[in-house]
Amino acid sequence: MGFLSPWFLAGIAAVGIPLWLHLLRQYKRTPQPFSSLMFFERRVQSSVRHRRLKYLLLLALRCTFLALLALAFANPFVNRTSTSAPRRKLTIIAVDRSFSMRYGDHMQKAKLRAQEVASGLKSRDMAQVFAVDSHVEALTPPEFNKGVIEAAIEAIQPGDQASSFGEFVRALRVMDQENNTRFDVHFISDMQQSSMPPGFRDLQMGPHTALTLYPVASSNAPNWAVESVNTSAHVYDPNRTRLTATIAGWQTEAATRKVSLMLDSKAVASKDVTIPANGRAQVEFLSFEVPYGAHRGELRLEPPDQLPNDDIFRFSVERSDPKKVLFLYSAGRAQGSFYYKAAMESSSDTGLLVQPAPIEQATTIDLTKFAFVVLDDPGEMDSAAAQAVCNYISRGGAALIALGRDSGRLGKVPLAGDRVAGKLEAQGAARFDPGEPALRGAGQFDNVQFSQAVSVLPKSGVRVIARLADGSPLLLEEHMGEGRVLIFTSALDTSTSDFPLHSSFVPFVVQTGHYLAGFEENPPSVVTGTTIALRRARDQGTAADVIGPDGRHELALNEASKAMNFALLRDGFYEVQRADRRRLLVAAHADRRESDLRTVPPETLVLWRNTGNESAAAESVGEQKQTRPRSLWRYVMLLVLAAAIAESLFARRYLKEERQTA
Amino acid sequence: MQLEATNRFLDPAVLAGISSLDLVAKTVVDGFLAGLHRSPDFGFSQEFAEYRAYSPGDDLRQVDWNVFARTERPYLKRYRGETNTAVMVLLDASASMGFGSTAVKKFDYARYLAAALVYMAHLQRDSTGLIVFHDDVAKVLQPSARQGQLMRLLHGINEAQLGKRTDFKRPFFDLQRILKRRGITVLISDFFEAPETIVKTVEPLRFRGNELILFHILDPAELAPKLSSPALFVDMETDDAIETSPDYVGGDYRHKIEAHIEDLRSKAEAAGIDYFFLRTDRPLDEGLREYFTIRRGRL
Repeated sequence: MGFLSPWFLAGIAAVGIPLWLHLLRQYKRTPQPFSSLMFFERRVQSSVRHRRLKYLLLLALRCTFLALLALAFANPFVNRTSTSAPRRKLTIIAVDRSFSMRYGDHMQKAKLRAQEVASGLKSRDMAQVFAVDSHVEALTPPEFNKGVIEAAIEAIQPGDQASSFGEFVRALRVMDQENNTRFDVHFISDMQQSSMPPGFRDLQMGPHTALTLYPVASSNAPNWAVESVNTSAHVYDPNRTRLTATIAGWQTEAATRKVSLMLDSKAVASKDVTIPANGRAQVEFLSFEVPYGAHRGELRLEPPDQLPNDDIFRFSVERSDPKKVLFLYSAGRAQGSFYYKAAMESSSDTGLLVQPAPIEQATTIDLTKFAFVVLDDPGEMDSAAAQAVCNYISRGGAALIALGRDSGRLGKVPLAGDRVAGKLEAQGAARFDPGEPALRGAGQFDNVQFSQAVSVLPKSGVRVIARLADGSPLLLEEHMGEGRVLIFTSALDTSTSDFPLHSSFVPFVVQTGHYLAGFEENPPSVVTGTTIALRRARDQGTAADVIGPDGRHELALNEASKAMNFALLRDGFYEVQRADRRRLLVAAHADRRESDLRTVPPETLVLWRNTGNESAAAESVGEQKQTRPRSLWRYVMLLVLAAAIAESLFARRYLKEERQTA
Repeated sequence: MQLEATNRFLDPAVLAGISSLDLVAKTVVDGFLAGLHRSPDFGFSQEFAEYRAYSPGDDLRQVDWNVFARTERPYLKRYRGETNTAVMVLLDASASMGFGSTAVKKFDYARYLAAALVYMAHLQRDSTGLIVFHDDVAKVLQPSARQGQLMRLLHGINEAQLGKRTDFKRPFFDLQRILKRRGITVLISDFFEAPETIVKTVEPLRFRGNELILFHILDPAELAPKLSSPALFVDMETDDAIETSPDYVGGDYRHKIEAHIEDLRSKAEAAGIDYFFLRTDRPLDEGLREYFTIRRGRL
C-alpha cells in the first residue's frame, strides 16, 4: 500500500483539534453567581470525568472523520497483481482506395503489396481487410482463411472520394480501446500530403497497435486537372450563357492542352490553353448553344494524363423559360406587386417572371404552374383561397407571406398559424448570417427603417432567418408538408417600411425568389460525398428515386419511400426525383485536392509509424503478470461520509441534551 | 379548603410588584393580622403596663371597653413595650443578600420583613430604629417613637444598598455602643458564617436585658440548588470561583446547609436568642403569623 499524495497525511495532525476540544481545553462554562461558597467543595475531577464519559464516542467519531479525510486526500492505493490473458493478434491490411489511387498503376501496386502482406500470414494468424477513403470500410471480418483475405484485396477498386488519414487512425484507436486485441496494421497508400489531418496528434495510434506503412506513389507524379467550372445551372437566354474553368497542373512542366466543352457527349466548343509549369490557367466559353431541357455537361482536358478521371469536370445545365411567380394582393392594394415586380425585373437573368393577381383569384388559377406564390398582407383570406394555397404548398409548392396591417390585426399568421403578439415600433433590422441560403448574397439591410412590423411568436420548428434590431423575427422559414414558406413580418410596399425604396430590396427579392423556386437546390456540380435532400417531411409516403452514373437505381424499395437524404459518392451524373416530384440532374465530381499527388515526406511517415507500439506486432507470449496501482480514495471517502453522518447524529443528540440542561 | 388557606397569604412575587415600601409593610401586617382574631395584644411588647386616658387620634381598638363600661371614660390599655421598649431592626446588606432564584431576592424579602416589623412596632408605638450593615455599619436610625419616624425608617430601608461582604464582628462592636437602650433587637440576615461565630458575636446584645431575634432568610436555590451538569459558581461576596458537580450539590451540599441551619438554630436557642427561619418563596405574612404565634405561646 502506498500514497499518491503522502504530504496530505500531515493533515492527520488535525486530530489534535477534537482532542484539545474534548479533553485538554478548560471547559468554559458561564459562571453562575452564588451567594456563598462556604458549603461547596471543588469537584473538578468528577466533572471532567463526567464529560469524558459522555463525549467519548463523539470524540472518537470526530478523530476518525479527520483522520479519514487526510487519508483520502493522501490518495492511498494498493498494488494489484493481475494475470491478464494475452491479447490476441489481428493483422489489418488497409488499402487506400481514394480517387488519387486511380493514378497510373498505383492501385495495382497497392494490391500487390497487400497480397505480399497477406501471403506472409501464417495459418494461425487472423487478418482483416480494410478499404480507406474518407471513411473506413471493413471488407472482411477477422479471418483465418487466407483465401478470403486475398480475394477481398483483389476486389478493392479505387473510388471517387478523398482519403482521410485522420479518420483511418481514429477508427483504429476506437478498435484498440474496445477490443482486447493487438493490431498489426499494414497500410498501403499513395500517402498524399492532402490526406493528412491538420494536427499530427490526430495520427497517434493506440497502445496496442503497430503500424507499417507502404507508400506506392513516387513523390513527383505530374498531374493536370480541370480544377473548377463556374457556370449557371439554369439558362434562360442562350445569348447569355457563360462558362469559366480553371485548369491546374501539379508538378508539371508548362504545356498547351486542349479543353473541350461537351453537352450530352457532343462537342460544343473547344479551346487550347497554355498552362504554366506547376500553375493554373483560366478558360472561358461564351454564348454556347444550350437546347431546352436538362443536359449533361463536361469539360474535358485533352489528351488525358495518368489520372484521366480529373481531366473531366462534369456539370449539369438546364435550359428553360423563366418560371412564373404569382403575386397575390388584397383588393385595391397592388402597390406591393409593383415594387416586387420592379425589383425582380431589374436584375438580369433571374429566371423568374412576376404575375400579379388579386387574392380572390387564387381559387381560379392553377397554382402548380407557378414556382412560388407571394401573399402581400393577405389579411383574413377567403377560406377557399386559403385552402387552395395551403394545398399547393403542402404538395411541394412555396410561398412568401408578407405581413402588413391587415394581417397584424388577425392575431395569427395567415396560412402558417403562428401567433401574432402585436405590433412593433419603428426600428432597423439586426445583422443576420450572410450564409443563410434564403438570403445568400442579399447583403445586410443597412439603413432600412421598419416603421411598423408584426411581432410573430414562432411555433416550434420554425427557423428565424433574420431579426429586427430588438430581436423580434423579421424573416422566418416554416415547412408545410413538402413545401416551405417564408414569412416576412413587414409589408412589401411602403406602408410599413421604406424597404422597397432601398437598394437591398432587389437582392432580397431575387435571392428569396431563387430560394423558394428551388434554384439553390440544384447547383451545376457538387463534390462527391455531398448529400442531397430527397424529402422534407418524414411521414410523406411518396417515393423518391435516384439513378446513378451507371444508370442503375440507387435506392432500394423501402429506402425510396423513407430515405430523407442521399449521398453522392461517385463521380458522374445522378438523376434525382424527389418526393415532391421535382426532378434534378446533379453532377458530382471528385474532390480536386485528390489531384495534387504530392506525398507526405518520408520523415513524417517515420514519425507516424513510431506512434504505434511495435511490440504489438510480436508473436503472443504466455500469460502476463501486471502490477497496477488501485486507488482506494473512493472507499475512504465513503468512510468519511459515514463518519460525518454518525458525528452529526451524535452531536445533535448531545446538543439537544445540553440545550435541555441549560 | 387547602387552596383557600394558601391563597389567604401574599405571594412574595405580589409584594415585589408593589413599589411603595410602606404599602408593602401595611399590606403584610394587615394581612397577617386579618388572618388572626384581631387582637391588640399581638405584638412585640405584650406585657400590660398601665392605662392611659384616651385622646383624639388614638386607635379605638386599643380602648379597654371593660373599663369604659365601668367608668364611662375611655382608657387605652398600655403595654410595657410602649413605654420603655426600643425595637431595633438590623438589616444585613451584604452582597450575598442580593442572590435570588425567584421573583424576590433575599434582600428584597428582608426589606419587606424589616418594613413589616417597623410598621407593626409603629402601630404599637414602640420606639423603633434601624441599622443597615454589611462589613461596616452603613446606616443608623436611632430608635424613636416620634411622629415621622416610620417614614424615616421606611425610607432608610428603601434606600439601603447592598454592600460587599458580611462581617458581623465589626458592625456588632459598633452596635453595642449604639444600642445602649434596653429593648428588642431584630437581626435579619442570611447568616453565611459559622454558627459559633454568629452566636458569639450577637450574644452580647442580649446581656443587658435585651431581647434578640434572628430572622434567617434563605433562597430555595440555596437550600437545594438544581444542577444537571457541572457548573462554575462564583461567590458574590469574595468573587472566588469553584467548579462543582450535580452529584455533590444533590448530596453533600444539602446535608451541609441543613446542618448549618440546625446548628444555628440550636446554638441560638441555647444562648437564649430567638431564631426564625424564612424561605423567600414563603408568603411573608404567613411566616410572620407563625413566628408571632410561636412567640406568644412562648411568652
